Amino acid sequence: MADVTLRAITKSFGDVRIIKGIDLEIADGEFCVFVGPSGCGKSTLLRMIAGLEDITSGSLSIGGREMADVEPAGRGVAMVFQSYALYPHMTVRDNISFGLRMTGHKPADIEARLRRAADMLQLTHLLDRKPSQLSGGQRQRVAIGRAIVREPQVFLFDEPLSNLDAALRVQMRTEIGKLHADLRATMIYVTHDQVEAMTMAGKIVVLNAGAVEQAGSPLELYHRPRNLFVAGFIGSPRMNFVAGTAAPAAHGRIEVVLGDGARVLLDGRGATVTAAQPVTLGIRPEHLTAGGGGLRATVRLAEYLGSETMFYAQLADGSGIAVKADGLAKAAAGSTLDIGINPAACHLFDKDGVAVIHGDLTR
Amino acid sequence: MFPRPIQKSPPWLQLSYKALLPVALVIWLLPLIGIAVTSVRPSSDLAAGNYFGWPSRFAGVENYASVFQNSNIGWYILNSFKVTIPTVIGAVGLSCLTGFALAVYKFRLNLAVFFMFVAGNFVPFQILAIPVRELTLRLGLYDTITGLVLFHAAFQTGFCTLFMRNFIKALPFALIESARVEGVSEWKIFRHIVLPLMRPAIAALSVLIFTFVWNDYFWATIMAQSADVRPVTAGMNELKGQWKVAWELITAASIVAALPPVAMFFLMQKHFIAGLTLGATKG
Ligand SMILES: Nc1ncnc2c1ncn2[C@@H]1O[C@H](COP(=O)(O)OP(=O)(O)OP(=O)(O)O)[C@@H](O)[C@H]1O
Ligand SMILES: [Mg+2]
Repeated sequence: MADVTLRAITKSFGDVRIIKGIDLEIADGEFCVFVGPSGCGKSTLLRMIAGLEDITSGSLSIGGREMADVEPAGRGVAMVFQSYALYPHMTVRDNISFGLRMTGHKPADIEARLRRAADMLQLTHLLDRKPSQLSGGQRQRVAIGRAIVREPQVFLFDEPLSNLDAALRVQMRTEIGKLHADLRATMIYVTHDQVEAMTMAGKIVVLNAGAVEQAGSPLELYHRPRNLFVAGFIGSPRMNFVAGTAAPAAHGRIEVVLGDGARVLLDGRGATVTAAQPVTLGIRPEHLTAGGGGLRATVRLAEYLGSETMFYAQLADGSGIAVKADGLAKAAAGSTLDIGINPAACHLFDKDGVAVIHGDLTR
Repeated sequence: MFPRPIQKSPPWLQLSYKALLPVALVIWLLPLIGIAVTSVRPSSDLAAGNYFGWPSRFAGVENYASVFQNSNIGWYILNSFKVTIPTVIGAVGLSCLTGFALAVYKFRLNLAVFFMFVAGNFVPFQILAIPVRELTLRLGLYDTITGLVLFHAAFQTGFCTLFMRNFIKALPFALIESARVEGVSEWKIFRHIVLPLMRPAIAALSVLIFTFVWNDYFWATIMAQSADVRPVTAGMNELKGQWKVAWELITAASIVAALPPVAMFFLMQKHFIAGLTLGATKG
């Protein structure tokens, strides 16, 4: 069993606290994705799990075993580095088998593992090449192969696909997904990429400035973001935020008056607000419609993507709003756009950015 | 492309470039040419004051033969090898280890130790002459090959460490971390990952140290006395002659003595490979 448990983990570089107390449970066999803005500590956290970085305080256990004093080699983890880190003077074969050869595995065993990994990653015909003779995607597969042969309990990936082109990225994404299905190992995966996170993850952990903003399944994060940060971070294009004031209305409902005077009546779902409470209304572009009452805005830019049309418009009070409309919708820049709003899809955040109402359409 | 290939510049520039380059080259090499020409001059030319003119006849064979007959130069060259080769191996080998330690490990006095290595290079070695002589005398190493090797190696290791440490620092650190996660011991990381990637640095440093130690005259005169120990630089003194300086023999001997470093350069040349770490990372 290889569940990974982090308890009140912190990390400081000198006086600067980079990781500020993280509690996290990653179940055995889970595919867990770390996302967050650049510099929020994703790599640092991963390196702490790998044992390459000391833990300032808190405890880390893998498979129930406390890891504080365990060397990287003894943790049963394998890491695929942000920069592949292939040994440039060795062939692919030697790169993949190096760790095994250096730690006293039997030649027959090494050969068998090498064959299996090379087959799985379609590297068999490349085994005698040097890394400099490989394409980016092939190098990346070698880096993964090097991790696989060690048969680790936990795989750690640090943005492995970030430098690949879009097509290769899609292909590698499915390959890593397959790998996870085949090996049933715990995987922790760092990425910047929305789509990667949404499609691969069993659980997404949103990090910001060294702390966990929210952890949960991709759809949970999409439908029920706990705060403004998560709401803005998960989902592409980004959620619209419009400032306004809320007040209680009849039948447990809540009336929100937006900056430009438009009114939206939300189902309170048990939440309470005080009169004239300042709030932020969040609604995703895909839950707005072009045409239909609700909001009135001036179109600034229209992007015709074929399958859909994106309108970037401005409300009367100056706040921007994006609408994802049907691919056939048309509106010229400068024209007025009526935007239909689905109250059930509206999120409401208080002035601290904490969600009061989730616009969860799945309920 | 930068710099712009000369083939693409206007004809007058190409022409003057082609004319001036050989001239500059000859001026640059003039001292060397002077020595080479003198070494094939008959001694009568020098007696007659023909220092820089055309040799009256080619006396190369007799000059070079006489160098070997009239002095122990063969023996001195052997001494030079006995001093230089162990020094190169010692200094470069040691600095691979010190450079690795200083580049890879974080410890409290890391920078202080490193600066000590660097600072050692700034001490003018002339002021060390007397203390070192005293020390070697007391250690019983005065006038021995071992003494010369030990002191050369000690003096060169400082610079070598600076060079190696910076070279290893420039290698992608993820290579070492990756091997650590794979459970490879530190010694094996050094042996199988770092050392092979240091090949160009080792080759360059070997040539440099070889040349430097081979050409050393200072320590050779201070720490060696007997003919058994004297390296070729000091040994050439013998050819000076008793009443007049036999320049034709000294220059011939100089040329002979300069050959091993040149040979060393060509021997190591194939290891000066750029871009050995190509392919290690995405970049
Ligand atoms: N060795 C170090 N010394 C001091 N600060 C460091 C060190 N390593 C990282 N940091 C700091 O820690 C923070 C987190 O770095 P980290 O590399 O974990 O970010 P990241 O989330 O992986 O970013 P990215 O998405 O750009 O890779 C950054 O602000 C960085 O400057
Ligand atoms: Mg990172």
